[in-house]
Amino acid sequence: MSYEVLTLSLPFIGGYLLTYSLYKFKIIKKVLHINIWNFIIGLTFLIGGGAGFLLLIFLELGMITPINHVLMYWHVEVGISLTLITIFHIHCYWRSTKKMFIPAKRRVKS
Amino acid sequence: MVNDPYPGQCGHYIDTTGDGICDLSQITSSTVDSTSNDQIDTNNEVADGNQDPNNGNTTIDSGNDPDGGFLGDGDNYFIIPVSLLLISGYLFTYYLFKKGILKRNKHKRIWNLLLTAGYLGSSGTGMLMILFINLGIRTALNPSLIFWHVELSILMVISTLIHIHIHRKSFKNMFRVLFSFKATGTKNEDA
Repeated sequence: MSYEVLTLSLPFIGGYLLTYSLYKFKIIKKVLHINIWNFIIGLTFLIGGGAGFLLLIFLELGMITPINHVLMYWHVEVGISLTLITIFHIHCYWRSTKKMFIPAKRRVKS
Repeated sequence: MVNDPYPGQCGHYIDTTGDGICDLSQITSSTVDSTSNDQIDTNNEVADGNQDPNNGNTTIDSGNDPDGGFLGDGDNYFIIPVSLLLISGYLFTYYLFKKGILKRNKHKRIWNLLLTAGYLGSSGTGMLMILFINLGIRTALNPSLIFWHVELSILMVISTLIHIHIHRKSFKNMFRVLFSFKATGTKNEDA
């Protein structure tokens, strides 16, 4: 079984560019753009994490069922999307992210 | 069990020769010479899907595993200890923050850094595994890769729940903004 990396990523990249453009052209508010992507990241986290958790439970109990491979497939695909949406999330909160890595003193100097 | 491929049926997989087959299941040439054909047939029957008398697990033919053996055997993941450690760590920093010993920013920073580490580690190991599966690479590194993927995912999940707790006002506001479609005029906390 091979996994699709680009096929599932493209709609998310397109979607993010769309809402970002809408916000930049002042058609929607920034808060809506951010909250749309916060909701999507939450949803992908729930699906990807849920599938991973179920897989882990199955493995811990030694249950090897045909569902395992389907779960594994969707866990991986949703995980790829989650990685991408996490990058969008960091982009949305870029100022806070910078604050987290760069101490206040260094920020003032630069 | 004869020539048991990765990840192995019994949970004691060891591969010092690097040929992708458990050393414990490999028959040496001297053993083959001294073993009758009947015995080999019996071993093959066990490997092909019957109950293995030594480990009590139901055995399947994982040689055709489409996930390159990454489904693992689920033996040694520290789900509960790691979760408890993280939750007690959060309760501790939350207590320090509430008592005024730790500043709000530092408290948030610690958990944001842990969340970032969890996401980076989990997605990094996950991407490596996808690469290995898609290219059909089976290495001795695979078991440790899946182990760290699981452990870092636990860190990611617990830190995400903590992240939601820290930003619970924004989290509640998200549903108000998205599902009532009213501009509340409240400034987003971190934006």
